[in-house]
Amino acid sequence: MACYAGGSATYNRQFRLISVFVFWFALPVFSAAELQTLGEAEMSEIDGAGIGLVFDNFTFSHGTDRPDADGNQSRIFRISGIKSTDGQEVDITVNHLYIAGANTNYGENLTPVNLGRLVNPWRIDVVDGNDIGIANKAVLEFAGPSKIAPTEGFDCMGGSAAAGSGSCSSRPATDSWIGERADIGMQMNVAVGDDRSANLNIHAKSAVIDGSYLRLWGDDQRQQMAGQFKLNFYSPELSINACTQDGATCGSRITMSDFALELAIGNSLQPVYFDVDGNGNFILEVDAIRAPGAGQIAANGLRAGSNAQTWDFYEDYYSNPELRSNLSIGNFSVGDKDFGTARVQGMLIQHLRIQTKDLAP
Amino acid sequence: MNLSRVYLNPAVLAAMLSLASYPVHAEMAPLGDEALANVSGQGGIYLSGDISINDVGGPIENSYFGRCDESDKKCGARFAYRLREDGGWLVLDEIKGLFAFEGLTLRVRKIDSGFEGDGELFDRDVIELGLPDTVRFTDVQFKLAASSTARPTDPGFMQTDIFAVQMQGDVIMQGNLLVFPDGNP
Repeated sequence: MACYAGGSATYNRQFRLISVFVFWFALPVFSAAELQTLGEAEMSEIDGAGIGLVFDNFTFSHGTDRPDADGNQSRIFRISGIKSTDGQEVDITVNHLYIAGANTNYGENLTPVNLGRLVNPWRIDVVDGNDIGIANKAVLEFAGPSKIAPTEGFDCMGGSAAAGSGSCSSRPATDSWIGERADIGMQMNVAVGDDRSANLNIHAKSAVIDGSYLRLWGDDQRQQMAGQFKLNFYSPELSINACTQDGATCGSRITMSDFALELAIGNSLQPVYFDVDGNGNFILEVDAIRAPGAGQIAANGLRAGSNAQTWDFYEDYYSNPELRSNLSIGNFSVGDKDFGTARVQGMLIQHLRIQTKDLAP
Repeated sequence: MNLSRVYLNPAVLAAMLSLASYPVHAEMAPLGDEALANVSGQGGIYLSGDISINDVGGPIENSYFGRCDESDKKCGARFAYRLREDGGWLVLDEIKGLFAFEGLTLRVRKIDSGFEGDGELFDRDVIELGLPDTVRFTDVQFKLAASSTARPTDPGFMQTDIFAVQMQGDVIMQGNLLVFPDGNP
């Protein structure tokens, strides 16, 4: 290509060609000169617009069909690869998994639903850690619709569709609106080796997860991925029952009415750490809280006489409701027998370590 | 098309490039924010087709990976993510299958009404991804695992499979996914 023999016209053409190539090749060099890496502190200052997601008129449904005469199945949804303690294969066949609008009659009648509101959508965002108690970090956040002031929000249990009845942003279905709360359900059966259980059905009516989030960032000291997970799950009725494999007869339905779970795993003081060890086992760990530095608490436990900073640190840790998990069930019933209200409140995870173990021989 | 068989005279190429670009530059003028705000795109994209991931096997063939018809080889794709410096890897393993869909639509939609009052408050454009009612999954599978090394061929490889998922048949997926910028930049 680089041949300069010839007249001046040829030379000009060649020169122009080379100029074009030089420009193209030089372009990235000029661009690179403009780019500089950002430090962690600078990154944490960035608070760009995140992505809002809303599912409009949404329905999801999948499952496993019965085999036809030739043993073929048109639809299969199976979770496998799990082993029982005695080394047998565990196979979970999902007969039906659905996410649909309210009043599905336990998945029989699927209608569309909206998930997230335009004014309060699901979000994927990089947030400034300084705003959420994670100092000088850029934090990746996946979040459901956030909770709003009880004067503007809706009852999380769906007892009222009037604004000002609760703190959930997602609205229950009404005669005129499909709502933002989904009926979610799963029917499955579990086989351990050759033994196949009855079908197990789990249904949640008009479920809402407002205020839930997963936050992820990198921890400098441990050089490890750290996170903070909050799951709020509210449903006016969560039910579990078992049916024979052909679905002809079912046992008593365990019904938990006004079910509210507020689960917090990891917080800004005690993040949850994710790891895989040298043997290929997954580890999830909430480490014990780090001491806030030197500072004594007075024998009588009062702030007067204690190191104020240390006292405030522990006061915040033990009194902050955001760090605690709650479970409340309005009424627990099996069949037609009521067992009344159950409530576990103010659980604080101070240390947690979960490790998978390979049972394969 | 085999590109190595296409011969172009460099001089002709240069002339085409230089001539083609100059008049285009001359026609272009920057649009102000206000002018751009009045531009409204029409139509959208309608997609049908299928996506196949390692349906018959991946590009790597060695002692571990191979074609799907070789019973002693793995043929799915592998995605590994390290959770800690010098730590192990969280793995999505043996990802394979075929997704076929008809009528996935993509368009820009102006929302200024509906949504039980939210539309009027929102009054903005969104990207609307119209889900294709049903997606046919053919032998779609993946496995979640934790592994000591990124590649199964690395020395000291140990892996614990946590669970595997297999999906086949028509999956009902109806509705629209609306995507838009959110937050306060």
